[in-house]
Amino acid sequence: MTVTAPPIGRVLVAGGGIVGWSAAAALRKRIPALAVTVVPLPPPEDALADRIQSCLPPIINFHDDLGLTEADTVVRAGSGFRLGTAFEGWTMGRSAYVHAYGEHGRPFGTASFHQHWVRAALAGEAEAFNAYSPAAALARAGRFTHPAGPPGTPLAGFAFGLTLTPTRYHHLMRAFALHLGSVEREGAIARVRLAGESGCIEAVEMADGTALEADLFVDATGPRALLRSALGLRLEDWGRWLPCDRFTMAEGPADAGEPPLLDTAAAEPAGWRWRSASPLLATEGRLFSAAHAGAAEGVPLRQGRVAQPWLKNCVAIGDAAVRVEPLEWTNLHLAHSGIDRLVAMMPARDFNPVELWDYNRQAATEADRVRDFLALHYLASERPDPFWREAAAAEPPPSLAHTLALFRARGRLPFYEEETFGRDAWLAVLLGQGVMPRASDPLIDVVPPRDSAAAMAALRSGIAGLVPGVPSHAATLQTLSRQAAR
Amino acid sequence: MTDAARKVNVTIVGGGTAGWMTAAALAKLLPTRCAVHLVESEAIGIVGVGEATLPHIRAFNERLGIPEAEFMAATRATFKLGIDFENWARIGDSYIHPFGTFGRGAGEPDFHHYWLRLRQAGHDVPDLENYSLACMMARLGRFDLPAADPAELASTFGYAYQFDATLFAPYLRRLAEGLGVRRTEGRIVGVDRDGGTGDVTALTLDSGERIGGDLFVDGSGFVSLLLGRALGEPFQDWSRWLPNDRATAMPCRTATALTPYTGVIAMESGWRWRIPLQHRTGNGYVYPSAFLSDDKAAEALIAAVEGEPIAEPRVLKFKAGRRERSWVHNVVGVGLASGFLEPLESTSIYLIQAAITLLLELFPDGPDTPLLRDEFNRLIDLEYDRIRDFLILHYHATERTDSDFWNYVRTMDVPDTLKEKMELFRRRGRVMKYREGVFLDASWIAVYLGQRVIPEGHDMRADAPPADALLKAMATFRAEVRATAEAMPDHLGRIASYCPMAA
Repeated sequence: MTVTAPPIGRVLVAGGGIVGWSAAAALRKRIPALAVTVVPLPPPEDALADRIQSCLPPIINFHDDLGLTEADTVVRAGSGFRLGTAFEGWTMGRSAYVHAYGEHGRPFGTASFHQHWVRAALAGEAEAFNAYSPAAALARAGRFTHPAGPPGTPLAGFAFGLTLTPTRYHHLMRAFALHLGSVEREGAIARVRLAGESGCIEAVEMADGTALEADLFVDATGPRALLRSALGLRLEDWGRWLPCDRFTMAEGPADAGEPPLLDTAAAEPAGWRWRSASPLLATEGRLFSAAHAGAAEGVPLRQGRVAQPWLKNCVAIGDAAVRVEPLEWTNLHLAHSGIDRLVAMMPARDFNPVELWDYNRQAATEADRVRDFLALHYLASERPDPFWREAAAAEPPPSLAHTLALFRARGRLPFYEEETFGRDAWLAVLLGQGVMPRASDPLIDVVPPRDSAAAMAALRSGIAGLVPGVPSHAATLQTLSRQAAR
Repeated sequence: MTDAARKVNVTIVGGGTAGWMTAAALAKLLPTRCAVHLVESEAIGIVGVGEATLPHIRAFNERLGIPEAEFMAATRATFKLGIDFENWARIGDSYIHPFGTFGRGAGEPDFHHYWLRLRQAGHDVPDLENYSLACMMARLGRFDLPAADPAELASTFGYAYQFDATLFAPYLRRLAEGLGVRRTEGRIVGVDRDGGTGDVTALTLDSGERIGGDLFVDGSGFVSLLLGRALGEPFQDWSRWLPNDRATAMPCRTATALTPYTGVIAMESGWRWRIPLQHRTGNGYVYPSAFLSDDKAAEALIAAVEGEPIAEPRVLKFKAGRRERSWVHNVVGVGLASGFLEPLESTSIYLIQAAITLLLELFPDGPDTPLLRDEFNRLIDLEYDRIRDFLILHYHATERTDSDFWNYVRTMDVPDTLKEKMELFRRRGRVMKYREGVFLDASWIAVYLGQRVIPEGHDMRADAPPADALLKAMATFRAEVRATAEAMPDHLGRIASYCPMAA
């Protein structure tokens, strides 16, 4: 009989950006027995999870789990809502498309909605796929409300994310983590001291000579992975599929008026550029391949994931574990997912290899499918520039090749574990970029095309009928603000 | 596209549950794509010995437009809320693997972590099954259909059926023939293959008749006439982990209450099933011939059954494992022709259904066929492999030392995939998480704990609420579970009002 190892008591979080403070808050909130110390090293400029303002829908669940309300995370933090991303110029000759969040149509008859759409499209009779997305319709109209209504009604099944004002959000998260009892320990880290025998991290030595000991070390220091790299790490490189290797970012005050509900991601000859804005802050950024752009400005970005984010008593979270361009805004999401996984899988002080293996397995599966989803944007691009021709010609990773082959055959999307992006998201991008199945699913043969057309028209008019009654984005934010002031 | 000329001619071999389920599903759901022809021989019996199923069967029936009450009356079915495992970890033990959740099944962490926390702190909390509505209903012999509103406690369970499989195939046959399926009576004596592609081209019957086809479904049972015999697809033998290779079956008149669950009772070498139907109770002893003779097994079965036997014990032979691939050339194996896992967790019909669902979704079509076939094989292998691990767990996680059989399974080396799963649970009650797969968290939790795989720790999030508040909330919930179950009709009464068999 094994003797039960003692529980982890002390956690040290290195990194004082949004990721580090979010980890501290979640650890204290969900596992109150932990003593959490944060060394608030300022995030470096390549720590994208700490800097990118656009966030995916699951951030709402992360806030719910922490007990944070929109009065905090939206009103006080100066955030706006977002419903998706507009992609411009990724396939020349096709119109721009929107990857909007949440459902696109609803299944009827014997098959999922998109099969009806594919059959109509193959017959040349389909509206754009995102004509069936309530989120896309709301975004085009500049209107926003929370999803509501009985299941099956048009405004019940969409999803939304947030556009942060990072300095304010950072302030909120730090204050919240401290309020929950995290302790801040300022100063620079001079050295990571390893225990001789086990090779575990024994202490973090600060510049003032003090040593901070802990049972578990959480590395939220960005791509340099200050702590985790002390144990040695290997990066699975994604450069073959995600060819941008530099970025620039510029921030400024947001325009007055309605904050945008969609970000823009526009393809350029050697990369792409984005625009996003919260009610307070606007960002413009560019991603590019230095070789193709003939430019060496900006911040280097080597995309990939750490093979074992958790080794011994040190776990890398955020950019310390996965470095990826902000396309589709997965940076902070992957950090949250790592934090949630850490909280859920908190082992005992013996750091049992099976538990760490399972953590790493889940993290790797999740990161690889994010890589696939982003790589899809490049592989399914159609532009004449050499950068894009090379990107489109790359051989996809096997899991993406599998997805593409089945989808191209008859619109089937195989299941993968740990998917960040659900079926509707894959469909929005695949169909938005013009990846068409050769045939529709035989299972819809029994539904006459006429019936499909009628059901699809009803879905469109259902959405169109409800959108005008929804308040504008600014009006919804004002209402929330008044409620929060009460 | 809907020309008869472009239709795929599907020839199904075997008129058992697998054959007729496939025929009915293809005819109902792909009427424009295929023409279905089924070949069966009445001289060859159906293996079905009274079947217990999993809740997935309801989706299959619904898709085929089969009315539940009519189907249940026709197959003399009863409701099934789970399985009661007796004597597995230790003689005298009993636990239920329910088709339902522990707790309300919502929120993180899973309910059992709170329960583990209190137990580990030395609190005297009752067994986990007291916090499962499905378990409580089963123990009290109650049944009602689940509530649709997920906020209600009565929505936290599912159900399946226990029915007479020898009546299910004829029921489906009527349905399928009504949908245009052709049926030919005859024994297959020859299989022709294309010299170039290796595809099966035609079957020759004992009458001399030849039946061609574009796609062949092998529903021939253990004999695996096309996949195994004609194509020679190798069989992956799993008997080193699942050594049972015989069953002796013997139906009885029902002498005791009509339980809304299947009984699975561990024996000296293997286990015994008890499946109550409306008109009789199915019984059988599953055992390894290496550890027990047929005569001894029959003797033990006769001694154990309740109620007067209706027939003599009948012996079936099998081997655990699956074909390397289930779809090879233009032959798709469905059911026992593609693999066999003993009915310990009632997966036989589920595996038939899984193959049919995949065949419908990946129905062959011209140049994409190899791709669709590979995907079929990938997914069906996953189903078999995960069920295999789940079954092995029942044997391996035992403390029994009373026979050579239990000593063997307790000490055997198990697949790494199972070792990892067990180790994760033993550490702190975590269940390896999958989105896909037939058995979800509650099933694994029930079997781990029931088999006395007791975690050393628990999810630390379960430490957040104060102990007294948690104890109180759990007591309140337990009372609600009991009251909800007690307010339901008795199982026999519910059947009598809903789906009684014809007198």
